[in-house]
Amino acid sequence: MSRIVENSKQKVLAVLVLLIVTGTSLGQPGKFTVEYYLRADTTTKTMPDGKIIAMWGFALDSAFGAEDGVVTVPGPLLTVPNDKKHLVINLDNNLGVPVSIVIPSQINTTMVPVKFTDDKGRQRIRSFTHETEPNNTEAVIYEWKNFRPGTYLYHSGSHPAVQVQMGLYGCLKKDVEKVKGKNVPNVAYKQGNNLVTYDADVVLCFSEIDPALHNAVATGNYGPGKAMTSTINYKPKYFLINGEPYSSGLPPLPAGSPNQQVLIRFVNAGLETHVPVLQGFHMNVVAEDGHKYRYDREQYSLILPAHKTKDAIIVPAAAGTYPVYDRRLRLTNAGASPGGMLTYLNVTND
Amino acid sequence: MNRMKSKTIMRLTSLAMVLAWIFTGPTQAKIETVEGPTFNLTAKDGFITTPDGGAYLMWGYALNGGTMQYPGPTMDVNEGDTVTVNLINQLSVPVSIVFPGNVGITAAGDSNGLLTKEADPNGGTASYSFTAAHPGTYIYYSGTNPALQVEMGLVGALIVRPQSYHPVTKKWAYNHTDSRYDYEYLFLLTEMDPVVHEMAQCGKWDEIDLTTYWPVLWFINGRNAPDTMMPANTPLLPTQPYNCLPRMHPGDRILLRFVGGGRDLHPFHPHGNNFLQIARDGRLLSSAPAAGADLAVSNFTLAVAPGQTADAIFEWTGEKLGWDIYGHDVNDPMQPNEYAPDHGKPFPVMLPDKKNLTFGATYSGSPFLGLQGDLPPGEGGFNVNAGYFFMWHSHNEKEMVNYDIFPGGMMTMLIIEPNGVKIE
Repeated sequence: MSRIVENSKQKVLAVLVLLIVTGTSLGQPGKFTVEYYLRADTTTKTMPDGKIIAMWGFALDSAFGAEDGVVTVPGPLLTVPNDKKHLVINLDNNLGVPVSIVIPSQINTTMVPVKFTDDKGRQRIRSFTHETEPNNTEAVIYEWKNFRPGTYLYHSGSHPAVQVQMGLYGCLKKDVEKVKGKNVPNVAYKQGNNLVTYDADVVLCFSEIDPALHNAVATGNYGPGKAMTSTINYKPKYFLINGEPYSSGLPPLPAGSPNQQVLIRFVNAGLETHVPVLQGFHMNVVAEDGHKYRYDREQYSLILPAHKTKDAIIVPAAAGTYPVYDRRLRLTNAGASPGGMLTYLNVTND
Repeated sequence: MNRMKSKTIMRLTSLAMVLAWIFTGPTQAKIETVEGPTFNLTAKDGFITTPDGGAYLMWGYALNGGTMQYPGPTMDVNEGDTVTVNLINQLSVPVSIVFPGNVGITAAGDSNGLLTKEADPNGGTASYSFTAAHPGTYIYYSGTNPALQVEMGLVGALIVRPQSYHPVTKKWAYNHTDSRYDYEYLFLLTEMDPVVHEMAQCGKWDEIDLTTYWPVLWFINGRNAPDTMMPANTPLLPTQPYNCLPRMHPGDRILLRFVGGGRDLHPFHPHGNNFLQIARDGRLLSSAPAAGADLAVSNFTLAVAPGQTADAIFEWTGEKLGWDIYGHDVNDPMQPNEYAPDHGKPFPVMLPDKKNLTFGATYSGSPFLGLQGDLPPGEGGFNVNAGYFFMWHSHNEKEMVNYDIFPGGMMTMLIIEPNGVKIE
């Protein structure tokens, strides 16, 4: 709180606002809350080699039960507008197992772990936070107060070794709320008077697929005593950026115009470390895990471990398509090349 | 632990080093480079050997149509140079070269590739030209099917000397005194899955599945330990010309140029002292232009990431060991760069009788720097200047083997030489 408000007058106001917000009942958010309706559901992804992968994903619905959204992996990119302080996600679960949503690095939320008793009588954690049971008749609410600006990953907090890999993840962003008391757009980070502003932004969400695991889960062959008992033998065959492995004709990602400040939001939703390399630029890496660095780091590559987010600014000098790829050379679609984690940033003249 | 490692390594190393020293003279301690700004490279195949007896089919960039080499020639250019790299392709697949961190590259070639212009198989050509706008350490590698072609060996290092550089009077890596050094060394780190190379040799290209990649050999500058310590350009390793044997005197500053050439991260670890990482991807770690390396980081290990480069400064004086490394009496004169508070402090250990010892090949017979002691016949002999040897290696310790045989792999030795020993 004290990081956001800058003088005592605002502090009093903020306390009043907080009282008003907390006074509203859950599900009836106030003026400072943005609300989304997500549905966990099944989908499939067709790989460039024709292989169809059973996936789990999130869809963005217009209301609970509307089921009018499309299930995607990664899930919908969620934005917390910078005039909103709080985020509410109403979750609908059409999967056969309990799911949930967590946003690591956002601390203003109440997380009540869910335990189960295993066959040896031990209490073990199944979920980092409260769960949404299958076929719930009412939305289960996940709430984050005073959402911190930055780039984040949301994902299922239930049995995450399986559910994240199955596709229950997505990206989330928020800009800085106020600069010197005023609401200014396109400020990604603020540290004192030091701002990170941008004209255009692009998300690069890295993840992998191990088809054997997906098949085992989808066919009921995953779990204790079944054909696949754990993810210990994780062997990914497909390597995705924004849910797509490279194949001929993959459309490039819009990334602003020449001389603009283009913010690249690197997110790793997979299980492996990747090292994205940007060809044609040094970038200024400005933040990590939603926290601004004190000083920019000028580099053309970055180490992106599992669940890391890193933000970088480039200022393209000229229009063009610029490759970005995983220098850990996950550049294959189940053995066939080219493929994998290669995409292009498309810088166009307005 | 480390002493045990050293002993074993040195015994295994002995024969190779004897042969090497006999036939090629003293081991060089410098970066072997090829000066630009124009380079004529040929992509061709050849074989490398590994200390466990392996021989593997490789693809490499050869200089001026010469022998295939792994890694490719270390290109040496000056800031502001217009660098031109002409590529002839003698392989049966298209190849190319990318230069990450260098921008404004004009590429010409037979075909359009996914990352750059490519040279067609069996005699095709390509050419790349750019201004070396920033000093530093860089990498180059094939931008054509790099998952396979980098593994096959199409990778090398590029050094851009700063404007302020002079090879004798101003050895700087960047345009700032924070990057000054007395000697420089290259650490281009790669790994290998022999199965890929065996499949390639059998022509089973379609059966190579890089998702099952499982490296069992680890390299510095294209060699596995203990070959890393053999001289550069030894005729014993005709396709692996580059060694890695850092040497320095107490008080010297040595520059370490790290290049992540393979596809895995390697936590590289110096014994003897931490090193100071001063740059990454060809940029000083600076808070502001002209601020020097004011954001430099003292590293116990440095995560050398694939495609990434890093520069570090290492220093050693024996500071705070608590005893006089020269075995001085209190009234003896000081050595250059000697750590004064320990001057004349006695060696804290009563040395066992030599009859109760076994001897490593690099033990001088004395614990003191620059002093040779008596050794039983046939022992020692690889420490001609009575220096100190420190093992430098990947701290992912499984990477210190050659196909499951310890010691080997991503490892070499730093030699602290006594003052006055010539290092070149």
